[in-house]
Amino acid sequence: MSNTTLISASALASAVAMALTGATVLASAGSALAATEKCYGVAMAGQNDCAAGPGTTCAGTSKVDYQGNAWKSVEAGTCTTMSLEGGRKGSLEPLERDMPA
Amino acid sequence: MRPAAQSLFAAALIDPERPLPEGITAARGKAADRRFAVYRNTVTVTRIDALAAIFPAIERLVGQEAFRSLARLHLVEEPPASPVLFEYGAGFAALLERTEPLRPYPYLADVARLERAWLDAVHAEDALPLDPTALGAIPQERLNDVIFTAHPATRIVESRFAAVSIFSASRGHRPLDGIRPQEPEDGLVTRPGHTVEVRRLAPGAAPFLKALIRGETLAAAASHTLASHPGFALPAALSVLLEAGVFTACTLLPARME
Amino acid sequence: MRSTPCSPQTETPRFSCAPLPPRAGAGLKPGHVDQILADDRPVGFFEVHAENYMGAGGAPHRALTAIRERFPLSVHGVGLSIGSESGIDPTHLERLARVVERYEPAMVSEHLAWSSHETGYFNDLLPVPYTAETLDRVARHVSQVQERLKRRILIENPSTYVLFENSTMAETDFIREIAARSGCGLLLDINNVFVSATNHSFQPLQYLRRFPLELVEEIHLAGHAEDLDDEGEPLLIDAHDRPVAEAVWKLFEIVISQTGPLPTLIEWNNDVPDWPVLRRELSLADAILDRLGPASLLGSRHAAE
Repeated sequence: MSNTTLISASALASAVAMALTGATVLASAGSALAATEKCYGVAMAGQNDCAAGPGTTCAGTSKVDYQGNAWKSVEAGTCTTMSLEGGRKGSLEPLERDMPA
Repeated sequence: MRPAAQSLFAAALIDPERPLPEGITAARGKAADRRFAVYRNTVTVTRIDALAAIFPAIERLVGQEAFRSLARLHLVEEPPASPVLFEYGAGFAALLERTEPLRPYPYLADVARLERAWLDAVHAEDALPLDPTALGAIPQERLNDVIFTAHPATRIVESRFAAVSIFSASRGHRPLDGIRPQEPEDGLVTRPGHTVEVRRLAPGAAPFLKALIRGETLAAAASHTLASHPGFALPAALSVLLEAGVFTACTLLPARME
Repeated sequence: MRSTPCSPQTETPRFSCAPLPPRAGAGLKPGHVDQILADDRPVGFFEVHAENYMGAGGAPHRALTAIRERFPLSVHGVGLSIGSESGIDPTHLERLARVVERYEPAMVSEHLAWSSHETGYFNDLLPVPYTAETLDRVARHVSQVQERLKRRILIENPSTYVLFENSTMAETDFIREIAARSGCGLLLDINNVFVSATNHSFQPLQYLRRFPLELVEEIHLAGHAEDLDDEGEPLLIDAHDRPVAEAVWKLFEIVISQTGPLPTLIEWNNDVPDWPVLRRELSLADAILDRLGPASLLGSRHAAE
């Protein structure tokens, strides 16, 4: 597979060396490398470490599930409150319609 | 009891249009409709609640009412196969993708894929991430032939939309203002310590990591990625690889016979 | 067949072999773990649903391991579908066996119910008719589970909302017969007794008089919700979303004064309160166990272990 190598052994070695030093530097905040990396590689941990997903229940519920399946649009979600450039909302459709045919 | 009695009971549970299964009754000659409805409601409500627990960002994005309608569709198409409910919902992203009223929000499916990947990572097998010194210990001239072993929690979700930013804002209950949904973002899900982390990957990093996960050598993965993404920053991708705990081990391919 | 995790042959058990003490225990909720570990007051035991720990690793297992190192543990399955016409799912039974091997719990229990069919998992405990045919099937399934787990399990009485026209046995006789045929022990859910009694117009005390109390090794208590049936009369729902009802505490007192103190679980699975609120429910159960257990008719058979 490495017959088609586009990257030289020395380039690879220097990339690994940079990463190895970078890995240690990234751990301490405020480094130059961390600054250049701030758009990427920034971890977003889940909101709740306890959230292991749905737990089982051996209980019943008195909640009634409504039967209706009819729905046409996403009206109450944050999708529709997302403001996009040009005052558009979170739907991508108007954006697509603006594109030249 | 007839052999197929539970089939009839099961069919009536999930289809409210069906009459009560034959032989279902109540004491003192009472009617059993509202009684049977307790089972119907529990089955549907708790399974919808399970999907809501797996996809909280989607529920927030589309609103509770739309979410519960979508979840009902999913229950019919793909009921949970196992009592292990945290494994449910693998096909939910695909449902979002092909549901007509959601066409204006094409990013939802990838947000759902990130949520499913996040929960996979929560429950994945424990493993220590690769110690950077193990990579450092490999002689420079042999780095070409390094192969990696993926951490059991590692998942990559490539998106043509700003799936990572939208996922993160929605889970964090933050407004989505300022996010440009059509900006492609690839997500990396890992669990380097005890906590699941989601990162946005720089262009090229996702195909690079996926190639390594498939078992390609470091040189082959880097070459293929540079060929398809000329701006690919290898050192940064390697930093993320180490920092995020994408892998657990690196080894050398056996030396080739010349 | 033993019901505790350690036999004398076990060389180095990873966890304590102690049985569930005849004290109050709580259903473990992930959000409570940190507070529990920081709480100095003793808790008799914790119980978990097996299915929530069928993942390979991660935070759930880290938390449960910390709990297991400090407290006796009961593993309560909710998904084995012991009453199923289509048999026990061997994959799920293997996953249960892995949880049991991993934690060596003091107790393992399941339900007299079915929850899976070819069309999937319903996430509800569905009723079975009490017939000779169901009895054969359920007893066979309980034996199959006990053989695989290499230990005795407890079977819990259900709460039900409907009856079957073709039932030919009383629930209490049906349960007694399952235990006789399979050798299993019993888990008596007193809230379930109260819920079913109200829903089917029978006296809970009459049920308890016919129930084989001598086989009961654990008690469950929980809160229930109130709805209305088609006739506008009370229909109780086993909702596990509130404190234990006064009437259920009274029945608990009656049971304990007969059986002696038993491990008693407070189940609170929906609208889960903060740990101190759940802890208070445990204290109520402990007070009854202290007050009535020693004077019981059957004596303190568990305290002697």
